[in-house]
Amino acid sequence: MTNQTNNILDITGRVLNIQRYCSHDGPGIRTNVFIKGCSLRCKWCGNPESIGMKPEVSYDPKKCEGKKCGICLKAPFPEGGYYFVEGDDSKVKVNWQLAAGTTEEMVSLCPNGALEMFGKIMTVREVMDEVEKDASIYRSSGGGLTISGGEVMLQPDFAAALLQEAHNSGINTAIETACNAPWSFLEKVLPHVDIMLHDLKLMNSERHKKWTGVGNERILANFKKAYETFPHIDFIARTPLIPGVNADDEHILGVLEFIRPHKNVIDYELLPYHRFGLGKYESLGVVYELDDYKTPSDEVVKRFQAMIDEAFGRTPEAK
Amino acid sequence: MSTDTGQKRIAIMVGAGYIPGINAVVAGASLAAGKLGWELVGILDGFDGLLHPEKYPNVGLIPIDPQVLNMDPNTSSVLGQSSRIDPFNVRTINELEMVEEVDMSDELLEKLKAENIDAVISIVGGRGLSILYQLHKKGLNAVCVPRSIENEIASTSVSFGFNTALTFTIDMLDRARLAAKAAHKIAVVEVQGEEAGWIALQAGIAVAADAVLIPEIPVDLKNVATHLKNKMVGKKSWGLVVVAQGVKIINQPKNDEPVSSLKASLSPLATSYSNSEFVIHKSGQAAQAVADGLQLRIAEETFPMVIGPWVRGGAPSAVDRQLGVAYGAGAIQAIEAGKNGVMVAFVPPDVKFVPLAEAINKVRTIPDESMFFQVADSLGIYVGN
Amino acid sequence: MIKSLGHAGTHRRVAINVGSGFVPGTNAVVMGVAIAGGKLGWEMIGVRDGFGGLLYPERYPAGGLINLSPELIENLDPSTGGILGQAPRIDPFHTSTVQGDEVDLSDQILKRLKEEDIDALISIVSGQGLGILQKLHFKGLHTVCIPRSIENDIAATAVSFGFNSALSVTIEMLNKAYQAARSASKIAVVEVPGEQAGWIALQAGIAVRADAVLMPEIPCDLRNLAKRLKDKISVRRPYGLVVVAEGAKFVDYTEIRDNHSFGISTESITAGQVAGTVATRLQKLITAETHPLVIGSWARGGNPTATDHQLGMAYGAGSIQVLKAGQNGVMVSFMPPDIRFVPLADAVNKVRTVPADSEFMRIAQSLGIYLGQGL
Repeated sequence: MTNQTNNILDITGRVLNIQRYCSHDGPGIRTNVFIKGCSLRCKWCGNPESIGMKPEVSYDPKKCEGKKCGICLKAPFPEGGYYFVEGDDSKVKVNWQLAAGTTEEMVSLCPNGALEMFGKIMTVREVMDEVEKDASIYRSSGGGLTISGGEVMLQPDFAAALLQEAHNSGINTAIETACNAPWSFLEKVLPHVDIMLHDLKLMNSERHKKWTGVGNERILANFKKAYETFPHIDFIARTPLIPGVNADDEHILGVLEFIRPHKNVIDYELLPYHRFGLGKYESLGVVYELDDYKTPSDEVVKRFQAMIDEAFGRTPEAK
Repeated sequence: MSTDTGQKRIAIMVGAGYIPGINAVVAGASLAAGKLGWELVGILDGFDGLLHPEKYPNVGLIPIDPQVLNMDPNTSSVLGQSSRIDPFNVRTINELEMVEEVDMSDELLEKLKAENIDAVISIVGGRGLSILYQLHKKGLNAVCVPRSIENEIASTSVSFGFNTALTFTIDMLDRARLAAKAAHKIAVVEVQGEEAGWIALQAGIAVAADAVLIPEIPVDLKNVATHLKNKMVGKKSWGLVVVAQGVKIINQPKNDEPVSSLKASLSPLATSYSNSEFVIHKSGQAAQAVADGLQLRIAEETFPMVIGPWVRGGAPSAVDRQLGVAYGAGAIQAIEAGKNGVMVAFVPPDVKFVPLAEAINKVRTIPDESMFFQVADSLGIYVGN
Repeated sequence: MIKSLGHAGTHRRVAINVGSGFVPGTNAVVMGVAIAGGKLGWEMIGVRDGFGGLLYPERYPAGGLINLSPELIENLDPSTGGILGQAPRIDPFHTSTVQGDEVDLSDQILKRLKEEDIDALISIVSGQGLGILQKLHFKGLHTVCIPRSIENDIAATAVSFGFNSALSVTIEMLNKAYQAARSASKIAVVEVPGEQAGWIALQAGIAVRADAVLMPEIPCDLRNLAKRLKDKISVRRPYGLVVVAEGAKFVDYTEIRDNHSFGISTESITAGQVAGTVATRLQKLITAETHPLVIGSWARGGNPTATDHQLGMAYGAGSIQVLKAGQNGVMVSFMPPDIRFVPLADAVNKVRTVPADSEFMRIAQSLGIYLGQGL
């Protein structure tokens, strides 16, 4: 999102959520700003609400009053988007196909907050106001600001502005990204990044395309160029471990091979597949495609971790 | 009501997921169109045949003639298959190599015009119906043939696909009962029924199950357990519980642990989002939840079984073949009668045409006074209060 | 001790019972036995639940033994199973008691049979049951066994009854699985019965023209399977079907990669988990998506086919003929077109697996079905 404004504090972006006290998004205790919109479609995604660029409506039936309210059945709400089942008017039901035109203004008409929009426009100033609340905690814990999503690189002006402001306030910056975007986008963001956590999901391009929607050539080229162009950044590689997809030796070794020549890649983290996000699929009316897969077993994860520790010349206790 | 004269070119397509009997609908439409001297073409794989013609050797439209009626009922639909048909959200890779959803509905309508298609017959249910309605509002001359395994499309008495699924389900439940009897266990079988319990209840009655759990009646597993215990006093050492996919279980022991920080960092809305206890996520989950819940309360071993994946294959029943052909012909009749934007509805003994606006969002759940409840009751089948 | 026979082949009271595990169509066998025996003027007695009706008569309000009179038999429905129940999955020679020790109930069984004046026992059993009956025979029991197995893995007989029904159901289910796979554009990996032998997997796989059939007889290297599937699966045909027997064995390729040698270990996986495990491992080797399904319990319930009706009756009647001919300690065997008998020793502790030169293997290969052999 570009803005013709001189003041970087007025630049806007579409933000999903701002989460404080995060300890798994870079060193120390951090505030994680999740922005909306992603350029991949990973079948295991636990955050479906972060995928689309446009704001989306979410519905919590527990808060619905039922037919005595009925506000969402009429204009300005999209026709047919919300309805009652005959004989059961205790809770509204959402027709996800027809509710697609629901906006922020409409949602605010729901008296009980059963309808919410994922993704609101915020200025850099508004975000920084939140972020700066924990400034002393960042200092004492070695933490800072993390931007993730969705895909950070899809709102490069907003992300760059935010990171720059953070630096101006002496706050350490980190991003989490899969780098599926043109290099020109990355170029805007990376100069302001201290730590980059980046996802290597599959090393085989054909399979990468099957599972995420695109091949991995451009992504890997981006990583390599980033390692070489920005020696001051601490890069941390990551893999979301999905059994049956990439939870195998071949992938782990492939990643270690890829990052080995670059001394500024300081670690490789494993994220075991989780099913935390499934409830959200239901509330968005999206079908979850990865029905049958389970979390990788502890022993498998331990084994891979040992391989990684060895490659980084660490004994497990020293980590 | 003007009836159009002159030759027409009608396109027919099918929604996502396979249901037995689609070929019968196509055959019915083909026969009826033939009698009027009209041309019938099939769009392959939902709307893909038109939206992505480059994937097909012959433009993605195929001519349909009545020979399709003689096709082996065990083969798949002549219209191909797709898992996504929404032209308003077509997943594409843009020129920046990024994946996004694009609205191609205008393009679709143009292509239909370019192919001289006068009307589109769409064999869809649920979501497809809404999509068709949206296209109709943009000017598409559309007729819907309702398909539904659950029979929850309200404006029509019987969707095609229901009878085949019911017959198959009863067959499978018979097997499950024998398996449970032999193993001296309680089979908990999950059947189709996300919003309505027709399949579960009718099949459950046919096999005299011990309990039938349906979406219409939220269930407390404690009561089911008590009912089973009472039934099993004496000689009976096994049981059969039929569970609809969309069943709602209440009074589950709550999981009160605070959100872990790992979860919070991996999931942006974990701290603000609350999981509804009513949500069942995947095929097999309902059976598992019920089996686990019952296991905590009774001594006999429960074991879950799932029919879901098997229903999507096989030949249509005789009833569905007839119904399919009648629906196909009905769709052509609708177009001939100048009806635009309607769903063909079977309200015995008539065929009616219901405007799409009235057909969407109507879910037919089992009404309280349904005779099925009374029959179940007199057979000693627990359905909930 | 059972008193020895009066004159060879003449019995007064003959008992019938059923071993553990459910097989459709047992009633047909019971009918065959009862009718044939009745015609010879013998008294036919059914024992409930294996030996349960003999050992614990107090548990059966209607009696642990049933008089299989002509009237009762006339009203029996051959297409259901179960009039005699079936034995629990325990070995009467090593039965655990509530106190936790093991007892040998065999003497008690023989004693009870004597008390009930039973001259001979016809037992409808699976491979394991044969072993138990043989031991009882060594202790003096006069017995003839009828082989039942849905997997058709009992040695010394060409077709056990129950196999045809299970095969029939499996083929039906596989057809559905194939269509479901087609409509979802995935590769269905379906687990079918067959812990020791691949008859069901192979014959059903041929019937539905699966892309691959994995059986216990041929340990499979999944990498080869992946290669073959890659050749078959394409944009025009983005779906497939892999049939896996419960007892299929796999060559562990992780070990191979590290040790640089081949075929070190084979492993098999618990029934019910095989489809899931194979699907997951296969998933890593190919681009297409796999979808596991398990037929398991579905094939073990259900009604017997017409073939199994006939076979059941034939086996039943055959067992009476065998008894009449004075045979003891034998198993009735169906070697088309004859019904014969073989010593129990020929069948005990042996498994009838699919031989490497079997006609079925040849047919499968000529149809392009991958069977797990090397490439």
